[in-house]
Amino acid sequence: MPKLKIDGLEIEVERGTKVIEAAARLGIIIPRFCFHPGLGPVGACRVCAVKFEEGPVKGVQMSCMTDAQDGMVVSTTDEEAADFRKHVIEWLMMNHPHDCPVCDEGGHCLLQDLTVAGGHGIRRYLGKKRTYNDQYLGVFVQHEMNRCIQCWRCRRFYQEFAGYRDLGALQIAHHTYFGRATDGQLESPFSGNIIDICPTGVYTDKPSRFTGRRWDFERGPSLCIHCSLGCHIITSARYREMTRLEARFSESVNGYFICDRGRYGFYYTNHPERPRRARIRTEEVSLDQAIQTAAQKIIQINQKNGPKAIACLGSARSCVENQAMLIRFCRVQGWNEPTYFETPTMAKKVKRAVARLDEQLAVSMREIEKADFILAVGADPVNEAPMLALAMRQAFRNEATIVVIDPRPVFLPFEFEHLPVAPDDLEPCLTALIKGAVHRSAAEKMGEEALRFYDTAPAEYPDAPIKNRMVKITQKLRQSRYPVIICGTSIVRETTPDVAADSALLLRAARGRAGLFYLMSEANTFGAALLSSEEGSVMDVVESIEKGSVKGLMLVESDPFRSFPDYERLKQAVDKLDLFLVMDYLPSFAARLAHLFFPTQTLFEMETSFVNQEGRVQFATSAYRGGIPISQISAGGHPLRVFRRDIPGGESQPAWQILAKLANIISLPGREMFSLSKNELWSWIAKEYPIFANVPIADELPDDVRVHLAQGREKLFPSGGQIRSGGLSRENSTLELVMGDWTFGTEELSTYSKYLQQVEKEPCLFMSPKDASMLGLKDRERITLPLDKGRLEMELRIVDTMAPGVIVMPKHRQLAWQKIEKWPVKVAMGQIRK
Amino acid sequence: MEASKIDRIVRQYGARESAILAILQDIQAEEKYLPRETLEYVSQKMRIPMVHVFRIATFYNALSLKPRGRHKIDVCLGTACHVRGGDKILDKLERDLGISVGETTKDKRFTLESVHCVGCCSLGPVAVIDGDVHGRLSQEKVPGLLKDFK
Ligand code: SF4
Ligand code: SF4
Ligand code: FES
Ligand code: FES
Repeated sequence: MPKLKIDGLEIEVERGTKVIEAAARLGIIIPRFCFHPGLGPVGACRVCAVKFEEGPVKGVQMSCMTDAQDGMVVSTTDEEAADFRKHVIEWLMMNHPHDCPVCDEGGHCLLQDLTVAGGHGIRRYLGKKRTYNDQYLGVFVQHEMNRCIQCWRCRRFYQEFAGYRDLGALQIAHHTYFGRATDGQLESPFSGNIIDICPTGVYTDKPSRFTGRRWDFERGPSLCIHCSLGCHIITSARYREMTRLEARFSESVNGYFICDRGRYGFYYTNHPERPRRARIRTEEVSLDQAIQTAAQKIIQINQKNGPKAIACLGSARSCVENQAMLIRFCRVQGWNEPTYFETPTMAKKVKRAVARLDEQLAVSMREIEKADFILAVGADPVNEAPMLALAMRQAFRNEATIVVIDPRPVFLPFEFEHLPVAPDDLEPCLTALIKGAVHRSAAEKMGEEALRFYDTAPAEYPDAPIKNRMVKITQKLRQSRYPVIICGTSIVRETTPDVAADSALLLRAARGRAGLFYLMSEANTFGAALLSSEEGSVMDVVESIEKGSVKGLMLVESDPFRSFPDYERLKQAVDKLDLFLVMDYLPSFAARLAHLFFPTQTLFEMETSFVNQEGRVQFATSAYRGGIPISQISAGGHPLRVFRRDIPGGESQPAWQILAKLANIISLPGREMFSLSKNELWSWIAKEYPIFANVPIADELPDDVRVHLAQGREKLFPSGGQIRSGGLSRENSTLELVMGDWTFGTEELSTYSKYLQQVEKEPCLFMSPKDASMLGLKDRERITLPLDKGRLEMELRIVDTMAPGVIVMPKHRQLAWQKIEKWPVKVAMGQIRK
Repeated sequence: MEASKIDRIVRQYGARESAILAILQDIQAEEKYLPRETLEYVSQKMRIPMVHVFRIATFYNALSLKPRGRHKIDVCLGTACHVRGGDKILDKLERDLGISVGETTKDKRFTLESVHCVGCCSLGPVAVIDGDVHGRLSQEKVPGLLKDFK
């Protein structure tokens, strides 16, 4: 490994490391505009010049273009190099507007910083500056092309890194223009990243433009909770309002970037209708009063109907603390444990995934970038977990083969092999590929169970064309050095998480190394699966209410009205309750119906933790104290100067603290009292769930703590002999309904964002050309779809990238799809009409 | 440009992304510029994003997005011609033709452009009309120079 000296300090780095990176490791940040650690070097700006004093390279050279080599002696402070950099900045400033005060980038602008740092102050060139017309780039990004210094970062991110091609470079030399062919919304769901990486103010964050300078904001490290990946973010809040979100670097999760759902999904926390006061029916009361009333009601029901008469629902969007405290609460009261999952099937799938993810198989997103073969089963990354698509693209750029087995019309920003097969065919296709690539002897060596799995697993593709396509691919998998299986948990069968894990084990045995990566539906699905022991479902609870055995219902950050199949039935059940208690921060339907309502804090207002889909426990600090945004009570004027002791609308508390207070009032003398300290709660968690024992209860934000069930506890190859052949269940007269996610419009929290609402697409029903022609339906026709509990009307889209025998529909906010009684849903063909 | 003509050109080179420059050159040769609708058609037909087609179309001087005149005048403003008054020649041409550099006369007779050195500095100041070099120019010679072009 090359050893070199920079500014008198010695460092040894891996071969291929650029001098600019070697210096960064020593804490020496060499100026840069075009170099970006996530994008690599291009040598476009020349501002990273340093002096090479000794070694194979001599003189002033670009540190981002030069590989670190043995014997180099580098000076970053050398006079000649500093003078060179100063002139580069002067040239770049020749065309740049001198109006930082009216530029939103001012205060966090790399060009501004380096201009000041480099000492360029007086403009010597008196000619005209070149000017451009700006473009309308949509809802998120403001364009001001005159500020461009042609570093190419935006184009390199947008096209090379992310794989979208509607923004690029036009023209030539000092006229080079970065933008689109015409005005219009940027098509990439990762577009916001160009705001973060542009070193000047060409792209600024449109929704938060001119709301403050960097130093005006309360800023802090936090987490994105708009999908199960848990990307790292930095929050900015001002005047009691969450204002802006940026990507935070994470070594193992998201790298340098985040998606637009994550960046613009946070507006639920500022929502003007967010309930901020405790309520008894419609009357607003103080939080304490509501807690007292709730306690009395609960004691009454407990005494009259027994401890099982109150049911609790939690959710997978709630943090670990809330989920854990709710369980603790129920246990102390002797109630049934809370339910976290919509259906028992979902609970089962997720729990199997959590149980099977062990330390040796689990991979992070960064590791996926290094895979040379990726096999995704029942996963639609751009729609379910956007940043995963970018991680897969980096693998693709390193020449990985990527196969997606999924009935939906999956799009990814790179070339991949798509097997659009019906849900029943997912497992057989997966095992067919694995059996084709792994020799039986590998299974044999792993023991009886493995062999049984191998021998009984079907090895068939639904049709000949797919089979032929797979010949070459199977060959690739056979030679792969690092295969990774990605397995979704939403549309797959109950057994699929196990089949995926067993397949990964076989691949590891055959190839020496293999990875497994599950996708889950929400930010803390993993946490809920780890903590909850019950596999009850919302349906069970509703039935108990109807039977009269449950008299009280407590919802903690849960809105069953969003997903319960039969809206009317749920409403009637709720009407029957003696006590309907809701704790939430969303203006949800359930919150409106609550007999007793408690406002809780969002992630941005509390110190909290979430477990992402690979079992990584991650922490977020609070960004601000909460309360009603000043803009919502000051009519847009200058901040009010009214002095008061409390924060208007600042009554919200973490749900787990409300629960603790409630428990302490109801508890009979002699029972355990709950403390309001987070550390105490975490010690309880660690005691009850040894798996959490290695999580440091600290204030720092470690991002490398993974919790996995201990190795060896799980039976391996449980799915042996269980995988059904696909073809058997195929019927010609029905279509199976598959519900999918969309990047924008289906995830609960982000659907409250007024900016994301503007880029949502109209919901529609996807159908394959084969089925559509059999039904005589045409593209873009309005159709009606009959479901168990009513019909849905929407537009039909005919796409040839999806499985025949299947129809696909998003769980879209604009669609009242909650009309399904039982999964899987089969719709008789003739029932779909114009 | 009619779709059938574009189809023929595309077919000739193949709908590969690497063929885009050759295809645009042929369109330019036929039409004397690249009409927007034609580029949109090419982008759709070849499944190449419009911004990439534009990238090529705006990168090369030989390609133009604006309609061109029948005759093209390139006035040299390279160092040698500049010292010998190339800018005065350009001035005179702009005045006589009633257009600025980069524009085309209303009657589509001339398009006026500037270039940086055409490699015959000893003849400066120089202008190139339809590929023929005219050297040792002066403002007085300009009207006579244009006379023969219809
Ligand atoms: S727009 Fe920004 S990121 Fe893109 S090239 Fe110009 S300065 Fe660089
Ligand atoms: S990929 Fe998921 S976690 Fe990451 S920013 Fe997007 S929504 Fe948030
Ligand atoms: S950072 Fe090295 S040339 Fe731009
Ligand atoms: S400068 Fe005009 S021909 Fe060289």
